[in-house]
Amino acid sequence: MINENDPSTLSTSGRLLAYNDAIKSGLETGKKFTELMDQLIQTTDAKELLQAATALSMYTLNSDYVTFPHQYSREDFYLLFISRMLELHGEGDAVTLQSSEYQEQLSQNITALDETIMFSFSGHDSNDNGECYQEHVTGQSLFYLNLDKQMLRFNSHAFTQLFIVQYAGQIDNEAILKAVQTFINLGNYLKKDFGFSVDFNMLDSDNSEVYEFQNGTNLSESVVDKLFVAAAEEGYMLENSEHGTGALLRLKNGAIVQVYNRAQPSQSDWVLSVHDEGQRISWFDLLVEYDFLRKWYLADLAELEIKSDPLVFA
Amino acid sequence: MDNQGQTSEAEQNQLDVQLNGAITEKIDYLTSLQKAIQEKHDLKVYELIDAPRFNKLIKKTNLKPNATALETLVDDLHAQISHYLSHHLIDYLGKTYPFFYYDEVSLGQFKIYFGNWWDRRQFGSLDVINIAFNFNEDEFAKLRTGFELEAEGKRYNSDKIAEISSQSTELQKLMTQQGERDQRKELLRSQLKENGQKSTLPWDSGKVKEERQVIIDQLSELADQDEAALEANNTIKDNDDLILSLSKEDTIINYEMQSIKKTFEDFSRFNQRNQSLYTDYLNSLVGEARVKTDD
Repeated sequence: MINENDPSTLSTSGRLLAYNDAIKSGLETGKKFTELMDQLIQTTDAKELLQAATALSMYTLNSDYVTFPHQYSREDFYLLFISRMLELHGEGDAVTLQSSEYQEQLSQNITALDETIMFSFSGHDSNDNGECYQEHVTGQSLFYLNLDKQMLRFNSHAFTQLFIVQYAGQIDNEAILKAVQTFINLGNYLKKDFGFSVDFNMLDSDNSEVYEFQNGTNLSESVVDKLFVAAAEEGYMLENSEHGTGALLRLKNGAIVQVYNRAQPSQSDWVLSVHDEGQRISWFDLLVEYDFLRKWYLADLAELEIKSDPLVFA
Repeated sequence: MDNQGQTSEAEQNQLDVQLNGAITEKIDYLTSLQKAIQEKHDLKVYELIDAPRFNKLIKKTNLKPNATALETLVDDLHAQISHYLSHHLIDYLGKTYPFFYYDEVSLGQFKIYFGNWWDRRQFGSLDVINIAFNFNEDEFAKLRTGFELEAEGKRYNSDKIAEISSQSTELQKLMTQQGERDQRKELLRSQLKENGQKSTLPWDSGKVKEERQVIIDQLSELADQDEAALEANNTIKDNDDLILSLSKEDTIINYEMQSIKKTFEDFSRFNQRNQSLYTDYLNSLVGEARVKTDD
């Protein structure tokens, strides 16, 4: 009796047919892959681009009978996706993709920054399809992207370490702000074009954004005292909040920084906020622009560090 | 017994009339006060609640103090009257003392806050009935000292901060010199060993002992410094906290001084104006009343 599921029962011709079918199916998988690649590289439609990138990032190219020795990884498809996303919005010049000579691997430069600073995606967690956008030398993950779950999470720790600590003084402020704007734009495109859930974190310039602290809801009085003294030395008066407990700082650029307890007086839930008429200024922008705020923030970073999504950046 | 026997009928009538008059006087007083409050005639209210002062300072007529002291009739209403009078007075003070803020802690009782900056000081209380500031003596003294020191180019805590900073600098030095001290200790210990091996000829023994003592003293001094260096880190941190609170106080006093200078030019004019607050305020009400009648 011939059982098609059991090769040992097949006749020779049956085996050859089964072999041939397996190769056909393997080649079909490869062909479909190349179509998706064409779509990823060439489409001018954002929806098609996302669809190709998502499919490729989860694609299994090899089969038992057909394997492909040269393959790009999910990390590379993610990188290609964001490059192309910016390109579709007329900002292709903001980043440059670099490919390795010896293997299938991509990395990216931010045009506004030094060309030796390289970024690429790196797996976040083996149980998760998302990827972290990392700087090569420091390994700092600026953001987490998950095309499948349609979410983007910026990481305030990495933005602080990289742009406020590491590059401060080496790269001029204008270039830093320009580079960071590229990431913000990307977030906005993902949000507008596909309805991604985006947490801009310390880059969020919306007035409704309330920045929480990474290490809890308490804030020592001395931290606010330090801001009071530092601001006075720069000619700014840290004002007492009119309502509740807290402090308010009006800066020359029109932004108003508030550090306040949003809970009842008997409880403690300190947060930070930035308001400006145009809703264009974020806490990050102020750290770049104002030296005394940067010094204040970094001196007590253990208390002041802005909280990132704890589900992603534990 | 006839209790009425002691006064004649005529005298009795006389007393009744007097009593009637006294009651009428009180009713009139209360009616006037009620009317003044109804008509929001604050000037009149102030006249009624302290006629002698009002007569002396505003009317400039040196009338004898009112023998019947009708003012005492409303002693138990001072909290309410103070609350009522505060509205207009605080409006006035908002313009003349723009840096003071008031908090009505209980009916008619006002705390004064100096400024709207972070952790501004509670500076005393406002006596609405008597139109006067009751400044907190300690806080006021700091402000006065601040003005005195300004002439020397100093701030209230400049000296203290300089002293603590130099202590921290010394401690920092003590910490960085640990390596040098360790080397010196090693040298001294080997000298001590050498000293112990020296032949103790009787005529030398005094000299050897003396040398030994010098080395031991130096070693113990170094040990003290080592100990201080170990403590230094904590002390420097404590010093930083102390400097922060002193700088904060300096910043607050400086803001207060700037506020006063902006409005009154200098501290003495500020003080003069505080002394004449009663007449200044009530004369401004006289002026307002005049404007109203002119309308």
